[in-house]
This record gives sequence, C-alpha cells and structure tokens, in this order.
Amino acid sequence: MIKKSMITMLALSTLIMTACTQKAPDLGGEEGKNNISDSVDIANDTVTIDENKYGNENTDTVSESKYNSSSDGFQSIYFDFGDYSISSEMENHITSNTNIVNSESNTIKIEGNCDEFGTDEYNYALGLKRAKSVKDAIAAQGVSESKMVIISYGESSPTCSSPTDSCYEKNRRVDLRLVK
Amino acid sequence: MKYVLLVLVLSLNLFAVDAAVKIEKDVENRARIAIVDASTVQNNAFFKILQSDFKISGNFKADTTHHKGDINSNYLIPALKSKEYVLKYALSQNTGTKLLVRLLRASNGAEVFKKNYTIPSKNKTPFLAHKAVSDINKALKYPDISWINRYVIYARYTTPGKSEIVLADYTFNYKKSIIKGGLNLFPKWADKDQKSFYYSAYNGLRPILYKMNIYTGRKVKMATSEGMLVCSDVRKDEKKILLTMAPTGQTDIYELDVASKSKRRVTKFNGIDVSGKYLDDDSSIVFVSDRLGYANIFKKGLSASSVSQVVYHGRNNNAVDTHGSKIVYASRESQNTFGANTFNIYLASSKNSKTRPLTTTGTNQFPTLSVDGNVILYIKHRGNSSSVGYINLTSQQSLLFPISGRKMQSIDW
Repeated sequence: MIKKSMITMLALSTLIMTACTQKAPDLGGEEGKNNISDSVDIANDTVTIDENKYGNENTDTVSESKYNSSSDGFQSIYFDFGDYSISSEMENHITSNTNIVNSESNTIKIEGNCDEFGTDEYNYALGLKRAKSVKDAIAAQGVSESKMVIISYGESSPTCSSPTDSCYEKNRRVDLRLVK
Repeated sequence: MKYVLLVLVLSLNLFAVDAAVKIEKDVENRARIAIVDASTVQNNAFFKILQSDFKISGNFKADTTHHKGDINSNYLIPALKSKEYVLKYALSQNTGTKLLVRLLRASNGAEVFKKNYTIPSKNKTPFLAHKAVSDINKALKYPDISWINRYVIYARYTTPGKSEIVLADYTFNYKKSIIKGGLNLFPKWADKDQKSFYYSAYNGLRPILYKMNIYTGRKVKMATSEGMLVCSDVRKDEKKILLTMAPTGQTDIYELDVASKSKRRVTKFNGIDVSGKYLDDDSSIVFVSDRLGYANIFKKGLSASSVSQVVYHGRNNNAVDTHGSKIVYASRESQNTFGANTFNIYLASSKNSKTRPLTTTGTNQFPTLSVDGNVILYIKHRGNSSSVGYINLTSQQSLLFPISGRKMQSIDW
C-alpha cells in the first residue's frame, strides 16, 4: 500500500514538474501545424464574380406626371394590394397594349412586379400571377401566347421608393416591352 | 451588489436579446469563463465575437470584462479564481492572422486546451474566434456548436433591378460579395460542406438556376423556367432539390434530380404554391400556398395528392423552413396594409399540433433552421434598423447582430 502511494506521488510530482518546465508557446506556430482544415475552409479565399453587365436596366425612376415604366409605347398595368386580377380601369391599357402587340413582329416581355410588403418566394409568385393575368388578357384578344414571355421581378425593381400609398401602388404593376 | 447588477444589465443589452426567449435558464449549469486578451494590440471587436460565441453556445457564461494578461503565464489574478475556466488568447495580425488560445482551469491554472490557428488573410478573423470557441466547446465535450463556423449566404438588393450575393460569418462581422451586379437571387447551399450553392440568375428572358463553387467560381446550369425559378430546399443526401418554377406560367413545386436533371411536378394548383421544404424522412414536404385565399403553410406527401393545412392562425404565413419534424414559420399578426406589420416566428412539429412562439415583438422574417436543427436564424426589423437574430432551441439563448443598409432578399446558412 505504502509502495503504491509512493509510486502515485512520484508520478504526480513528475507531471507537475513537466507542467512547470513547459516550453513557452510559439505564437508564430509552425507552418501548416494546427492550421484549420476542418469545417469551414477558412484559409482558402472565395471568388468574387462581377456581373454588372447584367440586370434589369429599365427601372429608372420616372416623373409622376409622365408615369409609365413600360417602354415601346406599352402602358403599365396596376394592381390592388395582394391582388392579381385586372381591374376594369386597366382594361383600356390592355386594349392599347394588344394593338401594339399586333403591330409588332417582336416577342413581348411581360414583367410582373410587387410592392415591398412581401418576402422571398411568395412575392415573386405574386408578381408572376400578375404577369400571367396580363398575358392571358392579351391572349384572350386573339394574340398567340407564343409571342409573349412572362417573368416576375418580385419586389426587386421598384420605380418609386417613397413610403407612401401612391408610391406603393406604382410598384404593384406589370410592365411590357419589346424583346430586341 | 447594485453595481454588479447594473453591470450585468448593461452587458446583457450589448446583444439586445429577444424578449421572448428565456435568457437566464440554467445559468448555474453553464460554465463560468473569463476571457483574457494577451495580444500585443488589444482588439475589442474580436473580444466581443468570442463573448458572443460563448453566449450563443448555451454552454458558457462568459465574463463581460475585457481582461488583459500574459499568454505564457499560468498565473491567474484572484478575481478570476471564482470562474471555472479562463481563456487566454493572443491575436496577431502582422502578416496574415495568427491566434493562440489557451484554456486554463481557473482553480489551479492547469492548461486544459491549447491551439494555434494561422490563416493568410485578416478579413476572415471572425472565423478564427468561432473555430477556437467551437474547438474548446468540443474539447470539453459539450453539445456540438459547430454551426458557428458556417458561412451565411444571402442576396440583397443594391439598386432597382440589381442585387449581390454575399458570404458572411454568423455575426456578420465578415462579409464578402461573391456575385456582384446583375439580378442574382435566392442563394441556397448545395452541400453540407458549403463548397457550392444554388442561385437564380434573372439576367435574361428566363430565370436560370445555377450551381456555383465558391472557391473556383465554376458554375453549372441546372434548370431554366419561364416566369420564376427558385431552389427552395436541398434533400439531406444532396441528390434531389425542391424547386419553385412556372414552366407554363403557373407557380408550382417540382423535385429535380441533381444528376439526371429530370424533374417531377409535386404540386398542382391554379394559384400560388411556393417554398417547398422536405419534411421528416424527406418523403413529404411543407410549402406555402394561397389556396385558402391568403398565404399559409400546407403539407403533402411527395407522391400523394392530398394536401393538409399545417397552420391555423395568422393572416399571412408566407415563409417556412424545416429540419426533420421541426417546422418554423413567420406569421403576420397585424392588419396594416402598408407600413410596419408584426411578424412573429413560430415553432411547430409534424409529430403533434403543438406550436410555440419564438418572438413577440417587431417584424421577424426569413426563419431558417441550422444544419443540426438546433438554432434558428431570422431577420428582425424594428423601426429603421435590421438585425440578424439567432435562437438556440436547446439552450434557449438568443442573440441579435445589427445589419446595415440594403434590403435583404433571401438568406441561407
């Protein structure tokens, strides 16, 4: 028993001595030793891709008096909050837009947009429903669906950024333009 | 005692904790730790990141005092003896970034853990703090918190019609644009190792879904669709993904086989079906639909036709995420057509009908579960400020980090 205790004591004192004479840590570290390699790869740098040549360029803010964010003679169609049905006030715009479609040989791009009061995927789907409503309304007047392409820009392309109801109305819209 | 309480209250305010989460749960069960900065040039930001890391782990109660000391000495001032652990660290940023950490047992100064970290750049320094804390946490055999090492990826609008996709650490102290310019949206990690991500490019007549490697920039076209196209979720084995797309102008949920690129339609509804997320063993999904006239959460089997409602409250439940049987969603609880609305985050389960709120104030959106399903990331808007928030469901700890500027479009981590 005494022998056992002595051995334990000896082992403990050796451990303590080792701790006391521990070599001072080297802050510089050996190259590669203890570097991070697991989990997130911290050391490796990630790329940056510049795609500034792309993007929807047709979203410059337009003055209130000449408000229309469509181009090529088309009239934008506006919608109620959270809605994707075409109101009776917008039917003249549909007729006018159909006349332009009939006089053009180019494909027509129909862009659905939303105000900022939505998030994520749902807002893009709402924008698309608006674009599809306009496409269907024009197709109902005899235009071939193959002549029209729809896309939703969700809340990404506001034409107005003031926190007012009239501004939000301008963003709940469908714009039309020729594909050139 | 009054002063001690005052200091404690002020320190808690540093992180503007969400009111709904019980902060002081199991305080006695957390290891008390002091942090001693032994750097030649003290760095308060780095110290705060270490503090945040220890706090959100739920396993440590970190001292808020920025102590100074010597990295090599095992001597501890008497005030630190009341802690269980003392972390000594030395950060050097002369060439690249070097971090040495030593964890000492406070009672006797014995070294419990020591590690040296070296990276060539300075801008990724926050990741060194995260890695060191998660390593210490692991060494002490506490529940895993390796999620703090992960990248957050998000898209934000820059100007009308343009966006950028950004990588960040979970505290948003590190941020780097990975795709600038164009209209690139809905980033979603493609693999657990965060080597690649899916995103939608809205730069032509039709949106295109790409998969891009973050280190090489190599991108692969995965799918295209008229109207809209989003990768909403990636199956655990990464072999299949859920898409929201509209090949005929009608938004529905599809499942894409990553290898063959073949697709099958999962929902068929003449309205809006979006945001499909795998549920349970990946044989069923939850998704957002307007089939009741407003955005709400529904569930269906991947091969079944029947659809069941998941959420029975709220006026607009338009965002959802899942992990196993856990379901988190954002619910609008006020009726303002315009202006600020109260959105709260709720936690539900596919196993039972229990639902519990996780937030109670402000506009809380984009709820996203961590890879281990234990932590929820969300974006909180309050007044004119926005923050990224984290709620640790296991430890009931929460943190908010302010994020500035441009409007966030979508986020994943």
